[in-house]
Amino acid sequence: MNSHLEKKIVGVISGKGGVGKTSLTASLASLANDDSEINPVILDVDVDAPNLSLILPARSQDAIQIKSVYATLKASFIEDKCTHCKQCYDEHFCEFHAIKWDDKNLIPIIDYLSCEGCNACKVLCPEHAFEINPVKSGDIIAYDSNKGFPLIYGKTRLGSTTSGKLVSDVKQYTQNLENYRDFNLVLIDGPPGIGCPVIAAISGLDFAIAITEPTPSGLHDLMRAIEVIQQFNIAFGIVINKSDLKSVFQEQFKEFIKEKGFDILGKIKFDLSIPTAMSYAEPVVAYAPNSDASLSIKEIYKTLKKKLWDSK
Amino acid sequence: MGWEEGVVLVGAGEEEVEVNRSNQVNSFNLKDYKLMPNKPKIVCVTGGKGGTGKTLVAVNLAIMFKNSGYKTLLVDGDSENPNTYLLMGGQLENQTEVPFFKPKILEEECTKCGICAKNCAPHALLYIDNSVPIPILTVCSGCRLCYKVCPVNAIEPDYKVIGWTYSTKAYDVDLLIGELKPGEARSAAIIDTLMNKIENIIDNEPDKYDIIVLDTAPGAHCDVELLIGKADLVIPVTEPTKFGKLDLIRIIELIKILNKDYRAIVNRSSLLGFRDQFMEELNSMNIPLLGDIPLNDDIVASYCQAIPLMDADGEFDRSGEGYQAFLNIFNNLREWIGLNK
Repeated sequence: MNSHLEKKIVGVISGKGGVGKTSLTASLASLANDDSEINPVILDVDVDAPNLSLILPARSQDAIQIKSVYATLKASFIEDKCTHCKQCYDEHFCEFHAIKWDDKNLIPIIDYLSCEGCNACKVLCPEHAFEINPVKSGDIIAYDSNKGFPLIYGKTRLGSTTSGKLVSDVKQYTQNLENYRDFNLVLIDGPPGIGCPVIAAISGLDFAIAITEPTPSGLHDLMRAIEVIQQFNIAFGIVINKSDLKSVFQEQFKEFIKEKGFDILGKIKFDLSIPTAMSYAEPVVAYAPNSDASLSIKEIYKTLKKKLWDSK
Repeated sequence: MGWEEGVVLVGAGEEEVEVNRSNQVNSFNLKDYKLMPNKPKIVCVTGGKGGTGKTLVAVNLAIMFKNSGYKTLLVDGDSENPNTYLLMGGQLENQTEVPFFKPKILEEECTKCGICAKNCAPHALLYIDNSVPIPILTVCSGCRLCYKVCPVNAIEPDYKVIGWTYSTKAYDVDLLIGELKPGEARSAAIIDTLMNKIENIIDNEPDKYDIIVLDTAPGAHCDVELLIGKADLVIPVTEPTKFGKLDLIRIIELIKILNKDYRAIVNRSSLLGFRDQFMEELNSMNIPLLGDIPLNDDIVASYCQAIPLMDADGEFDRSGEGYQAFLNIFNNLREWIGLNK
């Protein structure tokens, strides 16, 4: 790799779910991979529902690395030390209502789901009858995809209540790769929403792609996502998916985007070649390179590349 | 106490942890329903994957319950992106702030001992030797431990607004909505507030509602867990794609961990002609189905015009495939709940 282009970190987010983040990411990854100037590494940080690996599977099963992450802290109770004073319950040690009281055995019960691992019970119990221990929050899975470039994704352990932390862990894992310096494009498939995992996903981005669809909820959620992106001072461009959707809302949508003066990276018309490509587990630009959707995505890729590297 | 104690195992594999699920007991099992006829039945619409039609289903179920004479509350628990009211052409009204703890450090009282910072698990207090600690609010969990451990009472509880709840009405359905303030991370605190409101209604006005429909965020994180944990019945909505299937399997895993009864809905079932194959796949995995909704222009139109498809006075074609699919789902749901109105 002898590209002169400096490293850029790009994230795809949407606010609303199911508007095409993963499909777009897979295609952009595929185009970046075919581009001799670009050496990409792809991340999927939709850790609750990581789907990118379905389109970009591993080159070989043996080369899949799985690292378990034990970053979630949870309280546990040591019954031997308990003197049944009930202070933990009566004095509300736990702000998260994770300490219940067992009237029969006169001991506290920890509600695992509500517990934040905050340390309060451990510190406040006069008998030191609580402990805080790390439990498994999920896995980081890394491999070389069938297209060649590496894919790294996180997958929460269900019930561990730590999606945001795992997002940061996946990004950290990537930065610690021995060959991290060789990549000049880090492309991140983000989670839906605007909360903790999204904030973790967009922190440190050079550019955010905000994808949406021309529906009332698509616009509403896009605006909320943009509000968060702007708070982090991240440059962004909008991709409108299903841009020709039969909708009385279309005009209002166009008007609004125009009025705001947001940068449109591109539009993708509704095209059945996208779900069809997905059913064959291929990025649409690889499965149907001359379809309307693929041609639009190639335009988006070109525009994106210009924005990232020709911005002088 | 109303809750039963009990220890269950969560997750699978070598790292199983003994945990308690006593929080579930505030909801009740289907079989207990006859003993508590005055309690509303709680139906939770979820899905794992984003954009499968959760809100579409939740809104139209609520409308159908209302049409059938049930007193209905629709709760929007997707606080990151609440959309229920948008699909019903409603407005956000009756705003209530959701406060969240933040430490206020009284500099003149502080002895700069650093005990607060030492005890702060998320490292939300930056302490440099012999200086007053600086709170880093973005990582503060709100546990108040700093306030509780300060030996000289130099920390006072203060609050910031992290979001809002709203109560409004659309199409004669009462709506309770949670909204996270953009830039804030702790959506679970908004969900907690919603749950407290629901509990208050159930405790103080058990007759106020027959049915409570919960709409969740996508994903399988804390917010979704809390809402599923509150429900009597769970309806995961999926679509006939590889993504839909994978995420459905994951959300069902979570529903099973939470020990809830569930039946799935396949939305956009006619996409690319995969319907029968997809239904067969679900069947072979023993996933019970509540019904399916085909791709339908009326549904898209209703969504974009903010008029619910199942509105009793609406103009949508009642013999249309979309309309009929929702009716079928509603009848199946009624049977499942055991309502005879």
